[in-house]
Amino acid sequence: MSKSQRDRAAAKRIVEQQKAAERRRRVTIWTSVAVVGVLVIAGLIGWGVLSKQESSDAGKLTTPSVAVDEGTAFAFGTGKVTIDLYEDFMCPICNEFETSAADTIDSLITANTVTVRYHPVSILDRASNGTEYSTRAAGAGAAAAEGGKFREFHKVLYANQPEENSDGLTDAKIIELGKSVGLGDDFATAVNDKTYDSWATKVTETFSARGYTGTPTVVVNGKQLQGASGGVPTAADLSAAVTSAG
Amino acid sequence: MQWDKAWPWISTVARLGLAAVFLISGGLKVGDLAESGRAVNAYKLMDYDTAKVVGAVQPFLEIAVGLLLLIGLAVRLSAAISALLLVVFIAGIISAWARGLQIDCGCFSKGGAVAGGDTTYGLDIARDVGFLLLAGVLLVKPRTRFSMDGLLMGER
Repeated sequence: MSKSQRDRAAAKRIVEQQKAAERRRRVTIWTSVAVVGVLVIAGLIGWGVLSKQESSDAGKLTTPSVAVDEGTAFAFGTGKVTIDLYEDFMCPICNEFETSAADTIDSLITANTVTVRYHPVSILDRASNGTEYSTRAAGAGAAAAEGGKFREFHKVLYANQPEENSDGLTDAKIIELGKSVGLGDDFATAVNDKTYDSWATKVTETFSARGYTGTPTVVVNGKQLQGASGGVPTAADLSAAVTSAG
Repeated sequence: MQWDKAWPWISTVARLGLAAVFLISGGLKVGDLAESGRAVNAYKLMDYDTAKVVGAVQPFLEIAVGLLLLIGLAVRLSAAISALLLVVFIAGIISAWARGLQIDCGCFSKGGAVAGGDTTYGLDIARDVGFLLLAGVLLVKPRTRFSMDGLLMGER
């Protein structure tokens, strides 16, 4: 190979290397732009889906006429100490709390010591195989309150609580339980039409906005009541808190 | 020598593994955005309205990052974004732990409050650090097999 041939080969190699480097640079720039674009679009989709869900819920909202506390709870008793109970009908620990504290709560209401406000929230919809039992049950609770039988219905629904991660109770079964405590056709219609399901979502939103994250949440005169080592309070904890608040 | 041949394969495994992590964690959350918002809210780091937006955006971002890693587009940048997300998640868990909150991290599931003593912060952090290592491999050695990057660069 002569010197000029070698020079030409070297020059060609340099040009090719430069071309390859240029191509890598272009690819890096454009793929980076694409990545940022994809992420921005994904974020906007998430935001859009959320806004759409919220406006659809707001459009369907029917607030039960008997609801108190910004229309998110049903009150029993007229005592001056307020107990707020945030419970999910699917939550087994709520059921345990209800079972153990029901007598205490009943006697506090009868003695005119407390006003109990029930907030039926739906944070466990994922635990019913897509049938959204928590929301359906809370909506049915609102229908029962309109029929004047919230506490009775609440009790019978906990007594028949389905297993977590089952399909939950069917609407037909919920209506049957409602009838067993004296609720009528209006209740059945509201359950079948899901009249108060968006309201259940609103109650849950209010619960979250107040900074509560789990069920049961027990609040006495605005102060969240905790059991031993941050657990669920017992009936005795509740009595003690009411006594010191009164 | 041999390492030069091995790295693209090691990186490919890291890339696909990290893609699976993000696709699964995003996929589990995307079906119930309200739930995802509550999981973010449980960290008590922002007001609920902000937490709702973060909770809604996050699963879509995770899926997008997962897909980008899966196809191997701009691997180094995608890995850097993954690492950033993981660092934010780890910081969140540490802050919840430090404040004594009793919550599930919501990394791959429901999130929210748990009964006293049922928290698994140490394990959650260790797992996320493992994922961070995968992202680290890709940051240092972004060249992988079966990637869009390779295709566009004209490799093979």
